[in-house]
Amino acid sequence: MDFNIITPVTVKELLGTMKKFQKKKFRFGAGCTDLLMELKRNPEENLTVINLSRVKDPLFTGIKKSAAGFRFGAMLTAHKIMVNEEIRNNFKVLHEAAESLASTQIRQVATVGGNVCTASPSGDMACALVALEADCEILGITGKKGMVPITGFFTGVRKTVLKKNELLCGIFVPAKNKKSKNIYSGFVKIGTRQSMECSVVSLAYHIQADAGGKIIHAGVAIGSSAPTIRFAEDAAHYLVGKKFENISVNERKEFAARVLTYATPIDDLRATAWYRKEVLFNISKAIFENDAKNSR
Amino acid sequence: MRERMKKVKSVQYPQHEISFILNGKKVSCKTKGSAVLLDVIRDVFELKGTKPGCHEGECGACTVLVDNVPVNSCLFLAVNADGKNILTVEGLLHADGTLDPVQESLVQNGAVQCGFCSSGMAMSLKALVHQYENAHPVAGEIKKGIPSRDEIKKHLEGNLCRCTGYVKILDAAEKLFLNNE
Repeated sequence: MDFNIITPVTVKELLGTMKKFQKKKFRFGAGCTDLLMELKRNPEENLTVINLSRVKDPLFTGIKKSAAGFRFGAMLTAHKIMVNEEIRNNFKVLHEAAESLASTQIRQVATVGGNVCTASPSGDMACALVALEADCEILGITGKKGMVPITGFFTGVRKTVLKKNELLCGIFVPAKNKKSKNIYSGFVKIGTRQSMECSVVSLAYHIQADAGGKIIHAGVAIGSSAPTIRFAEDAAHYLVGKKFENISVNERKEFAARVLTYATPIDDLRATAWYRKEVLFNISKAIFENDAKNSR
Repeated sequence: MRERMKKVKSVQYPQHEISFILNGKKVSCKTKGSAVLLDVIRDVFELKGTKPGCHEGECGACTVLVDNVPVNSCLFLAVNADGKNILTVEGLLHADGTLDPVQESLVQNGAVQCGFCSSGMAMSLKALVHQYENAHPVAGEIKKGIPSRDEIKKHLEGNLCRCTGYVKILDAAEKLFLNNE
């Protein structure tokens, strides 16, 4: 594994570097925990890595709360996401996803932007962000910024809508619905062990209910079940209008069946497709039992 | 992984000059852009206490502290160490030759068997100690409690040990905090 590395420290320098290497082969490196592994296995010739870890700019490392929602830079580490009180209190699904990611050591360097851009079907924080219906803030080579909903960000295994002259600079998570009083939010990760595990299947949910307990908005996403993380829109819609605490056994099964329509898993070394579907059905059904006590 | 690696024609890329604090001393060296901190620590500065285990960020044998937080040095680019404060297991040893309380506790509680994971384990525990100031009380500082066994387990999730079954290691960690309370 050998490559050239360029370490810009400002956004201006970064854009300049992108322009300079526009015609050449380059990759972005954030925490590099995934990139280094990939390049060790499949080295590339004449590759330049644009190292983002020294770009000190709120665009990449800032956290900002507004009435519309919560915006954070793509270069925030999983550790910073995990310890952020605001995220823990309002977006539990993202907190739990960050907490379940790899290990203490990896969480110190791995970034949320890297987790999204690596576009793995098993990405933990990425799955949570899909359930939260986040938006991806994309920086173009000219310095122009654009927004893409994360539900449309992934196009295949390790493929995203990002063009070569674009990169992810931030994530925007919309604030809760004004009427929302109870939020049932969580990340369920199934693997053969708890730590350092790439999930066999994962389920992220963020369900908002009004003062009477009626569900007014729901986001559900599944990981490791299809070539990309999928937003289970139909399953989420099915919940709207129902009372979370009163969802019957049949309705739970119907919800789980609808989640399953988004799953096209494969057999691989971690689990068979059959097992993945069974587990996904069961954990989808179970969120109503697990979370009844944990609402906030 | 070694056999999984594909051979690629070698191209000469520019070298990078980096300086950082290594175990309290300011050091500098030239390194390849693709070099990881583990290689620089072991091959350039010849500190062999940091162990290369899996090279994949799985086992934690190569754990070092960068600005007091634990990282896998096998997945940490050497160029990113520039300007940082790096602590390896060699840096735990006190000037008078005595062991750090973390190491002392591992030794006293029989938490070392083959020893390959021990330096990484010690560094991860050292990071945990940093989070709990009361483990090294400074005059007048208020105690902030001690970590639970579950918290220690969660903290050590990235450090594998194939000998001890972890029980002695967790005992050592708990006693380390109890003794310092």
